[in-house]
Amino acid sequence: MIYAVFIPAIAIVLAPFIRGRAAAYFSALTFLVSFLAILYAFVMKLEYAVDLFTAFEPIGRIYLLGDTISHAFGFTIALVSAMVALYSYPYMKHRFEEMELNADAEFKKYWFLYNLYAASMLWLVYAGNLILLYVFLEISLIASFLLIYYYGYGNRIWVGLLYFVWTNIAGVLALIGFLMIGFDNQTLALDSIASVSMAAWLFIFVGMIVKLPGLGPHVWLPWAHAEAPTPVSALLSPLTVGLAAYILLRIYLIDSSFIEAYRTEIFLYGVITSVVAGFAVFKQKDHKKLLAYSTVSQMGYILIAFTLGTAGIVGVIIQYISHAFGKSILFMSAGAIIAIYHGLRDLEKMSGMHEQIPTIANAALIGFMNLSGILAIGMIGEFFILKGLVDTFGLSLDAILLVVFVFIISGLYSFYTMKRIYYGRVRDYSRVKVNRLLDTPLYIIGAISILFILPPLATWFVDAVVTFLGGV
Amino acid sequence: MELAIPAVLVLALSGALSLRFKYIGFAGALVASAMMVVNNPLLLMIFAVVLLNLASLDLMKGFLRGVDYTLVGLIFVATSYAFYSQSLAFLLTMFVVASVPTYMLVMASDREIRMEVGIKYITFMVIATILFLIGAILMVHASATSSPTLYFLGYTMLLVGLAIEVGAGPFHEWVPDVFDSADPIPISVVASIAKFVPFVVAFKVISSTQMGGDTLILLTGIVAVVSMFIGNIGALTSNKPARILAYSTVANMGYLLAALSVSFKSEFIYLAFAGVMLQLLTNSFGKIGFFVGIKEDAMPKIETYVLALSFIGIPPLMGFWGKLYILASLVYANLLWVAFFLVINSAMSVPYYVRLIRIFEDKKDFRRLAGYLVTVTAVLMLITIVPPNWIIESSRILMKYLTIGGV
Amino acid sequence: MEAAALMDLELNPGIWLALFFAPILASFPIAFIWPRRQDSFARKLPILSVFGLFISFLITLFILFRVEEGRYVYPWLPSIGINFVFVADYLSKYMGALTGFIAFTIGVYGLEYMKEDYRLGWYWFFFNLFTASMLLVVYSDNLFMLLIGWEGLGIASWGLIGHWFRDDDELSYVGVMDRKVGPLKMFWSPSTGGWRAISTIRVGDMPMFLAVAAIFALTGTLDISQIHWGELFEKIGTAGTVILFLAFLMGPFTKSAQLPFSEWLMTAMTGPTTVSALLHSATMVAAGTYLFMRISWYIKPWEIHLPGVEIVYTLVLFLGLVSSLYGASVALASRERKVLLAASTMSSLGLMFASASASYWLGEFAVIVAFWYLITHAFAKATLFLVAGHIIHETHDRFLGGDREVFSKMKLTAIVTLFATVTLAGIPPLTAYWVKSAMDEVMEKLVHDVGILPFVLLVTISAIYSAFLAKFFALNFWKGRHVHLHLHGGGVMKTAYTAMVSMLLVLLAVIYLGIDHAGEEFIHAGMAEVSFMVGILVLVAYVVGFAKPEHENAVGRVLYDRVYVMALNDYIVPKIGWAIAWIVDIFNRLLDFIAHTFIPALFEALSMSVRVVQSGSLERYTKIVVSLVLGILFVVSVAGWF
Repeated sequence: MIYAVFIPAIAIVLAPFIRGRAAAYFSALTFLVSFLAILYAFVMKLEYAVDLFTAFEPIGRIYLLGDTISHAFGFTIALVSAMVALYSYPYMKHRFEEMELNADAEFKKYWFLYNLYAASMLWLVYAGNLILLYVFLEISLIASFLLIYYYGYGNRIWVGLLYFVWTNIAGVLALIGFLMIGFDNQTLALDSIASVSMAAWLFIFVGMIVKLPGLGPHVWLPWAHAEAPTPVSALLSPLTVGLAAYILLRIYLIDSSFIEAYRTEIFLYGVITSVVAGFAVFKQKDHKKLLAYSTVSQMGYILIAFTLGTAGIVGVIIQYISHAFGKSILFMSAGAIIAIYHGLRDLEKMSGMHEQIPTIANAALIGFMNLSGILAIGMIGEFFILKGLVDTFGLSLDAILLVVFVFIISGLYSFYTMKRIYYGRVRDYSRVKVNRLLDTPLYIIGAISILFILPPLATWFVDAVVTFLGGV
Repeated sequence: MELAIPAVLVLALSGALSLRFKYIGFAGALVASAMMVVNNPLLLMIFAVVLLNLASLDLMKGFLRGVDYTLVGLIFVATSYAFYSQSLAFLLTMFVVASVPTYMLVMASDREIRMEVGIKYITFMVIATILFLIGAILMVHASATSSPTLYFLGYTMLLVGLAIEVGAGPFHEWVPDVFDSADPIPISVVASIAKFVPFVVAFKVISSTQMGGDTLILLTGIVAVVSMFIGNIGALTSNKPARILAYSTVANMGYLLAALSVSFKSEFIYLAFAGVMLQLLTNSFGKIGFFVGIKEDAMPKIETYVLALSFIGIPPLMGFWGKLYILASLVYANLLWVAFFLVINSAMSVPYYVRLIRIFEDKKDFRRLAGYLVTVTAVLMLITIVPPNWIIESSRILMKYLTIGGV
Repeated sequence: MEAAALMDLELNPGIWLALFFAPILASFPIAFIWPRRQDSFARKLPILSVFGLFISFLITLFILFRVEEGRYVYPWLPSIGINFVFVADYLSKYMGALTGFIAFTIGVYGLEYMKEDYRLGWYWFFFNLFTASMLLVVYSDNLFMLLIGWEGLGIASWGLIGHWFRDDDELSYVGVMDRKVGPLKMFWSPSTGGWRAISTIRVGDMPMFLAVAAIFALTGTLDISQIHWGELFEKIGTAGTVILFLAFLMGPFTKSAQLPFSEWLMTAMTGPTTVSALLHSATMVAAGTYLFMRISWYIKPWEIHLPGVEIVYTLVLFLGLVSSLYGASVALASRERKVLLAASTMSSLGLMFASASASYWLGEFAVIVAFWYLITHAFAKATLFLVAGHIIHETHDRFLGGDREVFSKMKLTAIVTLFATVTLAGIPPLTAYWVKSAMDEVMEKLVHDVGILPFVLLVTISAIYSAFLAKFFALNFWKGRHVHLHLHGGGVMKTAYTAMVSMLLVLLAVIYLGIDHAGEEFIHAGMAEVSFMVGILVLVAYVVGFAKPEHENAVGRVLYDRVYVMALNDYIVPKIGWAIAWIVDIFNRLLDFIAHTFIPALFEALSMSVRVVQSGSLERYTKIVVSLVLGILFVVSVAGWF
């Protein structure tokens, strides 16, 4: 069953040779099959450890690791990748026309890189060795870098480099931490690591803060996520940055000493990150930059949740999923406007867009509902985060006020943005027929995100995660 | 190693005959190299380097044709011998033997003899060689007489000599000029096969004497970090590919020097050594590929990406593993600050390697041999998709030959 | 009626599923087809939606009459002990049927009222989603499940208030166009109304969400009827109780528009009138008070004597009364039909809170009084909103106005209005009189524990309340300025509000005939001397209000501007928010500049200085290298010496 995660490899190889729309369907199909298989494994609580190779110290046993955490991240990645693959076709066609490139030739490159990028993220969460994990991290970085470098907006080469440098710093800092773990444990195989020293934790944590990103290093993210071609943004922002959380989570599950030692500091850092980014959202004039800042704000949730004990960890996992669903919908909605109105992304030129593109507006609403935790899986995530808060800090008024404030801000900027873009005076844009591939994928993700609060999905999901973590 | 003498004889003979017909030189170099090959993965890889060097010489015209094969062959013989020799005298000889042929090679070009480059290069090599030799001897002497002051002095001379020889900062002044103004093919030799011996000898001398303290580690670390920074910063604004590669060499030599500081901690030398060797291999393949590209002013596209990404250190390409092992050895030896600067530098290197990619983008007009050569280098970069246990194994075997007899 | 331990019972889950999903699924056809085609076929689809509401209504009746009191548990997140728990008890049975009836009736009304609308898919989807959410809130015993319904209310309210998102129709605004008072714009568009609603509600929901999670963390269960509230409050102490309880009540306070969160309800009137009738009078805003009643029902504060609980209940009592007084005064000064009704709704909600909070001293009866007032108010206010909607429809004017011509041409409407206002005002012997009497009794009894103030406030509020109801009737049908009537159709609408108002008679029958035993106590309270005197006062107020519906003065003008409470929503909070956003923006720009302009430039300069060495002169190189070598050797020698 675990080999199902390698099905997208077929798409990496074959999709470039398929012409037109079929390539999109084919790529999406491979990811969907993976999604279903992973979901099955998740529900059945199947666990795997498949040996691949044994390298000398400090690397140790390299194997594929499939457990509830991997599955939870895995099916999110597979689903979003599948939907964005479908969406890619009309969008990139528009982009190639805009760049005056030969669509057939460029699609070859695009499908190879896209599928490689998405699949490497999927494989990352199944890597049982920190080096293998790092390998996939860097592959996903390269593939996404090249996509920005070739098809991005604005000064795409500069933005691509900026993205590359920042995330490379993030990766290599974590690598030092990994090697320190290797020194202490003589191996980097996840199941054989017994302890993680504080220094190793520090390197990994700092590295992942750059990638996540936390306040300070976060300045790279708005550039990269805003100027990437939108399907890439729709993977970068929902899936890639959150993988930092996955890595931290893996380390945390081995040894949580660092987070416990600096609980208050990290908690406050998460709060400040989220608040600063949340307020920054209000000031943005570029649609995609706005969404990028909201990503930073949401990643602040994850930092907060890390400090909140076991319930917080459940919160981290669900927050990743809910943000992935919500943000992929939102980036795709932003991209749909770009594709339909030839590069329209300036918020000051938008209002009342619901008039022209109601289906996109409604999809965006579902996206924002995910972000603010209304009637979607994010609700359960927020519930666990809040429970963890009380578990950890008791009914302390300051901690409560901070977290509640953070959550309120997300809701506020979500609906403020809805109002800015889709409500109010109707502008003079023509009504167009929206390509089905530009809106249907959004609704599929949206439907699943809502189904996740209801049985049976919610029952399975919470049961699997809670069982894996040994109760909350 | 018993075949060293015959191998040199073959080289001498074929070198002489190559004046009649250049491919005799080629055949001689091949035979001699094959004679010196040991069934050790590292040596086999170095053999691959020398084969690429030899093949790339075919892209040259001009006065040294024929003999150049012999010279490269000679360097390989010296390299191979240096790995296994445990005698100080032989090691230092090999140091010179591996260095001198390059004096001639840098002057070669398609049309004329580039004297000016040669002079620049030779001047520095002479300084380097003298410092290195004196330093090595002083170290051995100091360790025999237990004289730390002398040892300090000797080590410093060795380090500085090595730095000048391989072109590490802040003694890198010759590198950009020579790399830029000499013919690319000979430079690819200078930047690849010729770099092994100095490091091997340095490793052997240091690990056999072992009087180092924290001061020397600090000194090495500083030189290494300075070299990384000079290389990477210098390359940031360079636009000519040869200059970018020159600074990239300076940076790479910084990484290698960093690993050298681990050689004072005997239990981790094997890791540092493995890292250095793998990084040298990466550097060799990459430099050969790119200099061939510069020679042709064109490169195959995907290969360009692979080479550049390997230099950046993207897994699972070879460049990643070299840096990984160096990094691991630094972490193990608790030289975290050096490790930190190393990774920061490796991130800084991204922009100029990407610029290199861009320079060669959409330039497709290259000779077929050049194309093959670049492809082979790229493929070799890819062999580490399976984690390179072989380099660790080799390194562990070669550890047995690390101690110099009589010290 | 006594909230004894509820039994866990079995019921086919299909019934519950149908209750919630019938309206949602029934709205899918119009929701999905409308964005693609807006033809006559699509305009017929809302009938399906209303049919979905009808199914829900039938099921609520079934629950009212045929389902035993108890808890119905179905697995949801069993691994953490959170399940779907439906509760059928005194409160939920009535409330469910009320919701079902009102939603269905207003749905029917909406078929005609919204006939020509440009956004039918949106409207019906959110209307039905709202109904389902409300029913979920009503029947939930589990707090987390309740939250789902609660969030559904919030989002549906946002969707429906901002229904006319284009902001292009003066008729959908609130306030006088282009009027400004100082920095405050005194007119609000639908999109602003929606934004104000959701932003206010989020501020309350998040603390409430936290409180729910905290209850779970502290007790391990979320079933309202199963939590040992007394133990919980004892465990967390006074401060803990106040924090937890107030955090929880932030949800009801904001939803029920208590001070200072009242403004959103006023501008919620930018939505279609049907929305105001359903959400902002009868159900959603009442959900806040309903929830307070529901938890008080099971907390049984009268059995817990803890200072923390007392503080909270006292606070709710006065907050409710003050909000109620504020709402009544604003309604009295209001000149817009719907805003008047919205403010009056706020006033009634305050009374419900106040009355329910009296249960701390007086026991369960106070909750029952509050609940009955909720029911009475719901029918009466929904009627008035539907009437207002009809008049606005016919006059194309949202301001109070209408002379006797309106009365004569819309006789049924006028009579319905008269009956609803008189009944709601609490004039004996009509429905609200009996309930209000019980409330008088409750406040009177509080004199011992709290003082005379609550009773005085209640009487004052009752008088003002009656006066503005009279004003509403007088200015719309009798003494208002002349308006142009555009009479057409309206049959369905009339039927709907007639049915609605007739429910007040049904309630009257229930009280008189003692069908519900609360009725006996209401009759008893209504016979008391004090109650009767209050009833007379209210009657006088009504007559005065009718006789002189308009009176211009300074106080009135301030009240007309709602005492400038909107400054909080429109000026103070946004100013603070934008100031922070501005600082944050500067910070981000600075960081961005440092990271992406300054440092790269620095490195470029460094790079140039590294490369400047490369002059090509061998002599220079040699000098550099030799001096470096000598320098290092010197340093090392010196260092080695020591």
